[in-house]
Amino acid sequence: MTAAVGFRPTSMHVFCAVLIVAILGRPLLVETLSVPVLQTAATVFVAVCVQALPFLVLGVLLSGAIAAFVSPAALRRVLPARPEAAVPVAGAAGLVLPGCECASVPVARRLMGQGVPDAAALTFLLAAPAVNPVVLVATAVAFPGEPRMVLARAVGSLATACVTGWLWQRFGRAEWITRRAAPPSTDGGRWAVLAETARHDLVSAGGFLVVGAAAAATLSVLVPPAWTEALAGQLVLAVLVMALLAVVLALCSEADAFVAASLSMLPLLPRLVFLVVGPAVDVKLIALQAGAFGRAFASRFAPLTFVVAVTCAVGSGLVFL
Amino acid sequence: MRRDTQHVLLVLLGGALLRIAADDTYLRYVRPSHRWLLLAAGAVIVVLAVAGLVRDRAGPPAHEHGGHTPWLLLAPVLVIALVAPPALGADAVTRAGAGNTVVRDSDVFEPLPPGAPAELSVAEFVQRAIWDTGGSLDGREVVLTGFVVRRGAATELARMTIACCAADARPNRVRLAGAVDDPAPDTWLRVRGVLQEGSATSVTGHVPTLTVAETTVVPAPPDPYEY
Repeated sequence: MTAAVGFRPTSMHVFCAVLIVAILGRPLLVETLSVPVLQTAATVFVAVCVQALPFLVLGVLLSGAIAAFVSPAALRRVLPARPEAAVPVAGAAGLVLPGCECASVPVARRLMGQGVPDAAALTFLLAAPAVNPVVLVATAVAFPGEPRMVLARAVGSLATACVTGWLWQRFGRAEWITRRAAPPSTDGGRWAVLAETARHDLVSAGGFLVVGAAAAATLSVLVPPAWTEALAGQLVLAVLVMALLAVVLALCSEADAFVAASLSMLPLLPRLVFLVVGPAVDVKLIALQAGAFGRAFASRFAPLTFVVAVTCAVGSGLVFL
Repeated sequence: MRRDTQHVLLVLLGGALLRIAADDTYLRYVRPSHRWLLLAAGAVIVVLAVAGLVRDRAGPPAHEHGGHTPWLLLAPVLVIALVAPPALGADAVTRAGAGNTVVRDSDVFEPLPPGAPAELSVAEFVQRAIWDTGGSLDGREVVLTGFVVRRGAATELARMTIACCAADARPNRVRLAGAVDDPAPDTWLRVRGVLQEGSATSVTGHVPTLTVAETTVVPAPPDPYEY
């Protein structure tokens, strides 16, 4: 037997060891998480994971379906040949696809893998979670008597997606996207391709979702409520703080309107900024994007989207509110 | 992480989602309508893992290095399986600031049903106390269910409202006055009492005061949030 000599622990050994340690250490874990602030953070952490995972699963299934059933040639026929024209088409496609931001990251990555121009795929990435019917209806419900808020949000978000797409088209470089979807393997039938692509995307994106959920949970207990209470009457500061809050709280785009509605001491404009920035850039999305496209991409795309989203939201707000 | 480890991890992850959706545990984190999404997602994750296992038995594809990030998926699995943190309570309410959030849904409310004390959600009670110009709460006995929050010497009854998941929870609170002994924070109470008219103003942070006639300690409801 050479096993004893040449033993190298595989990930399965490590995995089992981690499980055993965690189970043995359960009393310690339970005690640690009974400290009120950690308990609150743990609840928010699990809530964000549990809330987002079904949408991530939907996203990886769509990604798998695109890999298995939609050929690059078919996509080229649907999209205009010129990338400048493909950007608004991708933005409009976001209008009809309901889904949270977690779902759109794997789909956008797969679209790039199937030959869609980077700028158009990124526009879809930004538009899909922000302007789909579910989100707009939720906004209308959260702001009864303020239908202009729905219009301002839709226009601001769509503008954010298209402007970012065009900027990426003009100034972005392909080599900044260091991670790309591997071309789907061709062995097995189409369903096998779907299952394998979805499984692979889920494993690779899921870890980053956990990073984002942990960041959102930590920040949600660290950000003092006085942040928003002190802002009444200071419009410029309120816009900036609400934009930052949207990034750190990482709310689901279908729920953020209710939180914005509850901050009624603020005027509508900063709350609109909150609604436009949130689905475009937040800590959970930054983590997911770093996982899907690489850190070099995320470190450029997140600040770009943030500036564009704040500008578009303020512009849209000045026109419609 | 090797492929076989990934498969096992995915089975555990899908199992965790199915487990919390099988009973009321998921209600600590998301709204009731999310249950079907959790069951579907959990089933899909398990199916994808099993499909991967079956496929690899037929002949493993080229060695795949998945990187280290998949390990992080163990974190929610372990927290759910070993701890299952409770629904947001007094700590989260205290963290959310001092006042009630005031969202004006309407200033016209249906009158409360006549007769016996009206059973209201804390959110509806607060809404009516702040906005109702018709005075539907004036002099009426109501019954509220919520958990205890201590604010200095004062005792408040609170309940979280969520739109999607616990990350977007907003508290509604009612100050309790009168026959209240010293319940510990997070104790669930069923309270019967009458609104002190004009108590929910901007001075009090839109927190109405309830003159309490009777309190009963009750077990936490399966459904800890209001929607």
